[in-house]
Amino acid sequence: MASSPHLNRLHKEETAVSWNAYFRRYWQLYALLVLPLIYFIIFKYGPMYGIIIAFKDFNFFQGIVGSEWIGFEAFKEVFGMRDFYLTLRNTLMLNFLDLLVSFPAPLILAIMLYEMKVQWFKKLSQTVLYIPHFISWVIIGGIVYQVFGTQSGMINNVITSIGFDAIPFLTDKNDWLATYLLVGVWQSAGWGTIIYLAALTGINKELFEAAGIDGAGRLKRIWHITLPGLKSTIVVLLIINLGHMISIGFERPYVIGNLAVREYSDVLSTFVYRIGLQSGQYTLATVVGLFQAVVGLVFVLGANYTSKKLTDEGIM
Amino acid sequence: MIGNKRKNGILGTKKSLLMLGLACSLLFTACSSNSEPNASGGTNTDTGASKERVTLKVEVFDRGNSPVGSTITDNYLTNYIQENFGEPNNIDLEYVPVPRSEEVEKLNVLMASGSNVPDIVFTYDPNTFNRYAKQGGLTDVGPLLDEHAPNLKAFLGDEVLGYGQYQGTQFAVPAKRSNVGKYASFIRQDWLDKLNMPVPQTTEELYETLKAFKEKDPGATGGQVIPMGMTIASAQYEPLLWSFIKPLTDEQKYTLTQQLGSNDYPTLLPGFKDALQFMNKLYNEGLISKDFGLDKDKKKLGEDVATGKVGFYSEDDINPFYENGSYDTLQKNVPGALLHSVDVFTNEEGKHAKPMYAPNGLYIMIPKSSERAVEAIKYLEWMATGDNLFNLQNGIEGENYTMVDDIPVVVENPTEEALNRLYNGGDMIIISNGKQLGSMELNLKARAMQMPAKFKDQVEAAQVIANTDVIPPVLMDRPIEAQTKYGTTLLDKFNEMIVKTTMAKPDQFESVYETMLKDYMASGGQAILDERTAVYKEMQAK
Repeated sequence: MASSPHLNRLHKEETAVSWNAYFRRYWQLYALLVLPLIYFIIFKYGPMYGIIIAFKDFNFFQGIVGSEWIGFEAFKEVFGMRDFYLTLRNTLMLNFLDLLVSFPAPLILAIMLYEMKVQWFKKLSQTVLYIPHFISWVIIGGIVYQVFGTQSGMINNVITSIGFDAIPFLTDKNDWLATYLLVGVWQSAGWGTIIYLAALTGINKELFEAAGIDGAGRLKRIWHITLPGLKSTIVVLLIINLGHMISIGFERPYVIGNLAVREYSDVLSTFVYRIGLQSGQYTLATVVGLFQAVVGLVFVLGANYTSKKLTDEGIM
Repeated sequence: MIGNKRKNGILGTKKSLLMLGLACSLLFTACSSNSEPNASGGTNTDTGASKERVTLKVEVFDRGNSPVGSTITDNYLTNYIQENFGEPNNIDLEYVPVPRSEEVEKLNVLMASGSNVPDIVFTYDPNTFNRYAKQGGLTDVGPLLDEHAPNLKAFLGDEVLGYGQYQGTQFAVPAKRSNVGKYASFIRQDWLDKLNMPVPQTTEELYETLKAFKEKDPGATGGQVIPMGMTIASAQYEPLLWSFIKPLTDEQKYTLTQQLGSNDYPTLLPGFKDALQFMNKLYNEGLISKDFGLDKDKKKLGEDVATGKVGFYSEDDINPFYENGSYDTLQKNVPGALLHSVDVFTNEEGKHAKPMYAPNGLYIMIPKSSERAVEAIKYLEWMATGDNLFNLQNGIEGENYTMVDDIPVVVENPTEEALNRLYNGGDMIIISNGKQLGSMELNLKARAMQMPAKFKDQVEAAQVIANTDVIPPVLMDRPIEAQTKYGTTLLDKFNEMIVKTTMAKPDQFESVYETMLKDYMASGGQAILDERTAVYKEMQAK
């Protein structure tokens, strides 16, 4: 990858030389590129062909091609469904709150880890913080149930034994929202620090020393050196996150959500699961998927454009 | 890192475009060729082919429980069938495993693939059957049954066969259930004894009993008592809900019932609101578990029963009595605990009304693309003929079972070999759900004998209860399309409705109920109601 500028220069110099000679010289580099390309074509572009299901009355005995075209009928149906708007709202709401709560968490955590001077304790904390990332959501769901249950959850057992009323962490919609967000932080914050810690190693240590000599305290150093050093990483991650505003993982809301709080916990991914995989209405599920993709693209491009205007940083 | 990606993109643009085009064209050809076999499919009555050796592909559920030395496609039963059915008819049997837990998803993929579809497929899900039939993917087995399967037809009977019809055409062979009883209720007899209370006979008496359980805590649970075990699974709430339903006219029964999945639901039936109100009362007085809405798989309930916290609950009739099941564990945890089968919920007429199973089990189907429809029917016919069913279900006399009073009783401490013979029996003998011994009475007796002997009395009582005052499923003349379409969504809404109305503050019950019902109706409930009303009118006009 580092040879790309080199290639460009060569390309200019050798325009007279035939493409063949050029290719014979650098074919290995192209060969290396083939594998990822194949991956993207087969797994990312190939399936896009299935998008046309959204415009067909999909009958899988006739296949995609054999099914009848129905134009925008399915779109009309989806946009007329109450659950679509409810799940759309919930998706945006949960993602937005997640952005507020879960996005800064790894950043703060990474800075705290970076400031830690005792090496063994730093390593230990990192390991402990990473562990939740490797636990599957299904298991986390079980743990959440045991810990936050109203009837016999650990926390509520303590609360009721000292004479207070149990808090319905999982069955009251607002309490559930807090549970959902905090569990998300617990699960992902530790792992999220990795990318920041990597970026932090790129900051010149001499800057800190110089600032120290000039009399800057710890907070001043964080504010004037660490954070500016992380700026580009933060912006890139923010853009990526904004791109995901409309899409939401299936497992977390599905596992932590329940019927009592469906008003908040039912999101687009669980909606697609229900109408697509469970009810077999592939056309409607595809419509929702396509809608998510288009809106997601708009979000990414918009965030990228804004970011470029404001900070000169972007991903495209 | 990110900058480099961009350059790769520019260098690779031309090539990737080319390859994208190539990939697309490949996909197009692949998919269009998919649909071709269907055209040439259709019914196949090529009887002359029987001389040639052919392969019959049969779906089989894989539960991942094959013992050492067997696989789900090669075991005692597959060999037995190959030997006794395959060889004489010049047929090679090939079994296609489908994971039990994702049967519908996997079956959808198999059917859509066009190639390698088994000749015999099946599902428990009536919606899946209706969808396949509607989309024209199934063979009409009516004429084939008439021609090749007299024993099978006699075994199943017209009622069961009726479940396999789609708009008057026999698109599936439904399996026959050996037992249609569903639910019983259970109470801690030792708690009643301690409180000197009689077994409650009606819903009102039950309410008083539950209150006593709560106040006096006879199990000394230290305030953890759950007088009535509840979950959001049908076995727990259905007996309660249906006992509140008022006597119905035929018209009400046909038009107001909502079939979601394989069960009938009482959402619109008169009395349903009273049932919810009763649930709400129980919840707000602390008589049912606060977290019942989270317990979809009955795991928490099983735990609470086994640790002696639950005083009363409803469940699938013999469910608590398995070896190491909840009653067994309860007795280990709480010495002297007694769990008795009782029939408590009473409706307006004084009956213990509760739902029963439809008389059919699996929907067995032959895809339209299959060229072995005749052999497939012969396969099912062979199973229903003579001793075949009995031998397949019971194994070898002396090693697997001994005959006692016309009932094959499982040999105690059978050899490993004998045990491994029938591990997949339930999934191989697809024409029947449960052991068939010729009559319901014998079937039930045999079922009770499979349970631990120490619980025999309670098992028998539970089976009687499960078959008392049962409400049969309502069978419409033709499938209700709205049910196929909205069933899954509405089942969720139905459960949500129960949870929300039950957990509402008593003064908010009314408004929560109205909101939930409105949402239910708008999400497909109204469509089902309209369609059922229309079909009922057609049925009347006949």
